[in-house]
Amino acid sequence: MKSTRSMVLVSADPESMDRGALDVFTELQKQIIEFGLEEEIALSMVNDISKPGFVPLVLVYPDAVIYGPIKPGDVHQIVEEHLYKGRVVEEKQISPYNLSGRIAWLSARKGTLPAENRIVLKNVGVIDPEDISDYIIHDGYQALGTVLNDLTPEETIALIKKSGLRGRGGAGFPTGLKWQFVNTAKGEKKYVICNADESEPGTFKDRLVLEGDPHAIIEAMLISAYAVGADEGIVYIRGEYGLAISRIKIAIEQARNFGLLGKNIFDTAFNFDLHIHAGAGAYICGEETALIESIEGNRGEPRSRPPYPTTAGLWQKPTLVNNVETLANIPAIIRNGAEWFQSIGTDSSPGTKVFTILGNVNVTGLIEVPMGITLREVISIYAKGMKNGANFKLAQTGGSSGSIIPSSLQDIPMDFDSYKKAGVSLGSGALLIANDEVCVVDLVKVLLNFFRNESCGKCYPCRIATPRAYEILTNISEGIGTMHDLDILLTMSKHLVELSLCGLGQTAGSPLKDFLTHFRAEVEAHIKLKVCPAGVCPMSGRRTY
Amino acid sequence: MIKLTIDGKNIEVQEGTTVLKAAEATGIYIPTLCSHPQLTPYGGCRLCMVEVEGAPTLQPSCTLPAVNGMVVKTNTEKVMKARKFVLTLIFSERNHFCMYCPVSDGDCELQNRAYDEDMTHWDLQPNWQPFNVDASHPYIILDNNRCILCRRCVRACDELVGNYTLGFEERGADSLLVADYNVPLGESSCISCGTCVQICPTGALIDRQSAYQGKETEVEHHIGVCVECPVGCQRDVLTRDNRLVRIEGDWDAPLNHGLLCEKGRFLPLEDDRDRILTPLIRKDGSLKATTWEEALKVAAESFNNEKGLAAITSTRLPAEDMALFKSIFGDNLKADLVTTLEEGKPTSSLAKMAEKLGKSFETSLESLKDTDAVLSLELDLVDDYQVAGFFIKRQLMNGTKLIVADSKDNKLAEATTMRFPLTSGEEADFLTQLLDAFENSSENPALIEIVNVLKESEKACIVYGEAFAANADETAITLLLNLAEKINARLIGVKGNANSMTAAQLELEAPINVEECQAAFILLGDEDPSQKLVKTLEEVPFVVAQTTYRSQLTGKADVVLPVAMWAEQSGTYLSLDGKMQKAIKSLDAPEGVLTSREVLQKIAKSLSIEPNMDWKASLMKRMPTVQIQEA
Amino acid sequence: MSKPTVASDWLCGCAGCHMSLLDIDERILQLVELVDLRATPITDLKEPDKEGVTVGILEGGINNTANEEVAKRMRERCKILVALGDCAVFGGVPAMRNFFGAESALKRAYIEAESNDTEGKIPSSPELAEMTRVHALHEVVPVDLFIPGCPPNADVIFYALSELAQGRIPEIKDDKLHWH
Repeated sequence: MKSTRSMVLVSADPESMDRGALDVFTELQKQIIEFGLEEEIALSMVNDISKPGFVPLVLVYPDAVIYGPIKPGDVHQIVEEHLYKGRVVEEKQISPYNLSGRIAWLSARKGTLPAENRIVLKNVGVIDPEDISDYIIHDGYQALGTVLNDLTPEETIALIKKSGLRGRGGAGFPTGLKWQFVNTAKGEKKYVICNADESEPGTFKDRLVLEGDPHAIIEAMLISAYAVGADEGIVYIRGEYGLAISRIKIAIEQARNFGLLGKNIFDTAFNFDLHIHAGAGAYICGEETALIESIEGNRGEPRSRPPYPTTAGLWQKPTLVNNVETLANIPAIIRNGAEWFQSIGTDSSPGTKVFTILGNVNVTGLIEVPMGITLREVISIYAKGMKNGANFKLAQTGGSSGSIIPSSLQDIPMDFDSYKKAGVSLGSGALLIANDEVCVVDLVKVLLNFFRNESCGKCYPCRIATPRAYEILTNISEGIGTMHDLDILLTMSKHLVELSLCGLGQTAGSPLKDFLTHFRAEVEAHIKLKVCPAGVCPMSGRRTY
Repeated sequence: MIKLTIDGKNIEVQEGTTVLKAAEATGIYIPTLCSHPQLTPYGGCRLCMVEVEGAPTLQPSCTLPAVNGMVVKTNTEKVMKARKFVLTLIFSERNHFCMYCPVSDGDCELQNRAYDEDMTHWDLQPNWQPFNVDASHPYIILDNNRCILCRRCVRACDELVGNYTLGFEERGADSLLVADYNVPLGESSCISCGTCVQICPTGALIDRQSAYQGKETEVEHHIGVCVECPVGCQRDVLTRDNRLVRIEGDWDAPLNHGLLCEKGRFLPLEDDRDRILTPLIRKDGSLKATTWEEALKVAAESFNNEKGLAAITSTRLPAEDMALFKSIFGDNLKADLVTTLEEGKPTSSLAKMAEKLGKSFETSLESLKDTDAVLSLELDLVDDYQVAGFFIKRQLMNGTKLIVADSKDNKLAEATTMRFPLTSGEEADFLTQLLDAFENSSENPALIEIVNVLKESEKACIVYGEAFAANADETAITLLLNLAEKINARLIGVKGNANSMTAAQLELEAPINVEECQAAFILLGDEDPSQKLVKTLEEVPFVVAQTTYRSQLTGKADVVLPVAMWAEQSGTYLSLDGKMQKAIKSLDAPEGVLTSREVLQKIAKSLSIEPNMDWKASLMKRMPTVQIQEA
Repeated sequence: MSKPTVASDWLCGCAGCHMSLLDIDERILQLVELVDLRATPITDLKEPDKEGVTVGILEGGINNTANEEVAKRMRERCKILVALGDCAVFGGVPAMRNFFGAESALKRAYIEAESNDTEGKIPSSPELAEMTRVHALHEVVPVDLFIPGCPPNADVIFYALSELAQGRIPEIKDDKLHWH
């Protein structure tokens, strides 16, 4: 497959549609195929950009060129000159000035088309996951050799710190710093744990790595164990991941046979062994302290912090817990250097991110792209646009633990800091993309249903507020909600974030806030007009519980 | 030391102190629900949230360790709003409607917290899901509808009692307090210690006996030592209008820290024995009511005139009473037999050894709390002396090793794999073998295992009971002391009744032999007479029984002097580890009934005896097996 | 200035809160000095004046459509709405049926109750209001003052009413606050 080098957007606001935008789009499709560019050019329609009097618009990216008004007859010239030969058709170009919608991204992101870049998924589908030699042929365990022979634990940590790698589990904590905490924590016995309890709805990035490249995880855990001074590791895998478990098992066995696990690895003084702990189906066990409790044989419930696992984790010993995706970056960073890693992605969030694309788009699945890609780019380039040219309404990031991203925020670069600044979160990397036919009340109801079912029950705000919020949302979806309910939901949202013991409760509050911030009119329609604009909610006027 | 600021106050605390404890130490009040001073911090209810400068969210003060330079605020608007929100949530979870709840008005921590926050109502309603009510237990009712899932009961059952009966099923809002693997509480492994009821902040766990009988606002408290056994737990007897309402453990007690057992907490309220309310004299073969003057006169005459007098006292009575008893019947009347119902069995062999050595060799029960290995000799700490058993059981999960050597079935043995069957009377052989195994190893793998455990331990304890003491001769005790010395173990002798130690100190340890006796004075108090005693006394022509209840003994007695029961008298008790503690009068005795001490004084008066009233001095004469400590 | 007017009504309750109101005894004379008592279940007027009253007091939970109507009417016609007693404040005793449903409550009362003859019958008539889930007053209409208690203490009621009569919002706290 050739990589996409250009993204072409056609404006699809009502005025553009009136003036033949659909014909322009069809003609573009035809011409692009005629010129054999279909694998290099991503084409989609966008609803939130317009310029009265100049529509339909055609936007070419990454060159940040805007053409308009375009008739089907102009298409041939644009495709041949601009897309095929690379020359801007100046007479059709218009200035971005006075464009409606969010176009700031156009110039800001000029020339930065984020191509897929595989670090984490490099070997997935390429090597035989059940054959250690295949991994070794593909540079496998080379990083481990480098670390054990040439680097001290401190140097290893310094390297990871310098690379700027941040945890891919959702919170984005600097990985090197975490390693340093465990390294400097007092204690003879230390553990490293790979958090492979991937339970976010719609997220299966870790699974692909575990199934497709298990040795990368083992190698990374060996490196991290060496760096922090641990001699025992545990891969905590979601119980439902049968294939992943069996592949990791095989990989551990092979690594042991190759002397890569056990005593005196690479003839050094370094000892390390690894075993698997399968989860029993609780979402909460993806939370690191709940995961630790689960390994210890207790109810999977988070612990109060401090102390953090880095000082008192598994069996009260210093413990390093890293996500699968985070670990999968480690060997590559060691092999290619911190500078190489920094050159990918954004300054504050270097590297790539694996996203799971789901929802009302043309193409769903996994992509690995540099950090800082925008949602618009993901939808237009990788998801090949919205299904049936529908409107992009919102995206839900991170399975359930992320945020609701309205279309107005689709041009925010997706990295930890930019998202944080915009008041949303990246989550685990699932992108549920929804069109106008999705009702936010229904969506949030589904999310809260998930949270109320998965809340462990230890801390009160999460245990009690999630079912109450779910019931209120059910009332709203039945047309018997009140405006006072919205105040209660906002209060709940605020307090869930402020009071909850762990991330589950804290993120349970965010959809409650998000949907009232971005979609209040739609929610109020349910209450004041007793109408569900998307036509999804039952609105029966009856209590269902 | 850590320096921090709470609400503008500069505070210094030990490292490791939580913010909650630091605040409490300074008199700053932070409301809590799931937290309890006797339990490890949990951080569930989020009522104790405080603002910490620099922290993005509110922090739970109960689990948050104080850190140098920390600036904490406990009463900002943010904190207040959060508290009210948490309380609103709790009230909206299950059935927290107070109207008819037995703990409403003073006994409910949840309600009290809401009152503190001036809550006149709550904003959310529950989803009206009913939960199970479990009334299968003889004492305890478990109403899951009133449960706030704070798990204080579960944690108490685990951390304090070590019984691991209570637990939680399901998760989230469906979490359900269950016993064992969700069996009715009455059919579970529950041992009815009642700690869960006492620690429950709401009406989820209530006891049948006291529900609706009196609230905190209506009861009187009487804190004193429990007289059901010699462990010496402090308990709080709650009364209302001269009725027993409830018995609770005293959380502040240095030994038991709130724990009690079934015998100390529930059984005293079940007492339905037939009370004697007036002195009785046998006339024409049957007991007839009479006056105190008449009864005392007849009794005194028999003590003076009859040949051969036996005087036997219960060891459940206060030290004052027992000393008075000894002074009257031993020192003054020089009765032929002056002893206790226990005949010194749990104490005398050991007391004699202490006398011989000229030093005490036993130690405080406190040492059981941090021991790493326990050797239990002829003693079942599950059936009896339960609270001492709790100290052991609750540590077993943390690695403390337990070795049980017993000639009988022993429930404590269920908690361990290291059991060693003994033959009664051959304890000395066991100790010899054990000591030998230390020196020369052994062919018995069980012995080798015991030796290994004891060798590795640094804070071993050896506990032994009446069955050991009664059989042990000097050799056996010497072997025990040798063993203790070898492994540097601490010795704890568990002694029969609440005041058996006093009996030992008063040297009331003669075996009961009434062959020659024409009259017997039985100071039974509120104890039940044993069959054996009643049979023994059949040979005695004239029996004076000083007792609280009708029994087989009163059926035989010629004079019955009615006395107060445990709750109606104050007095001193020597615990098995030598602590001198007071039992406190909680109820007034029925009219016409006197305390044992008053009756003894009257007897002395009618015999014109001036008894020795310095009971304390009498206790101190003998070298005790364990040092006596006055509170 | 004319005296403030007070109206009260009872919904699904036991009338105990009104009895407790009467327990203010002779202090009712002080009260009528301060206020004009209008429609109450214990006076002859049955509906709060159309012109409106200053203070409306409601006792009891809301258990059917008729209660809802009364509550809404009171809310419309009063300036300050007081929820009096646990049933009005929380839903109280009648709300306990929410745990089991109206149907089983009716069955228990009209068919299974020991005092019924063998052929008990659940009353049904189009004229009967439709039973709903039992609500606290504030779930149906906005409430300005909550006086919990089962019933609220007469002293508390007297305090609250005399404060309201004098144009102050009473503070229900400390010894005035009880839920049982």
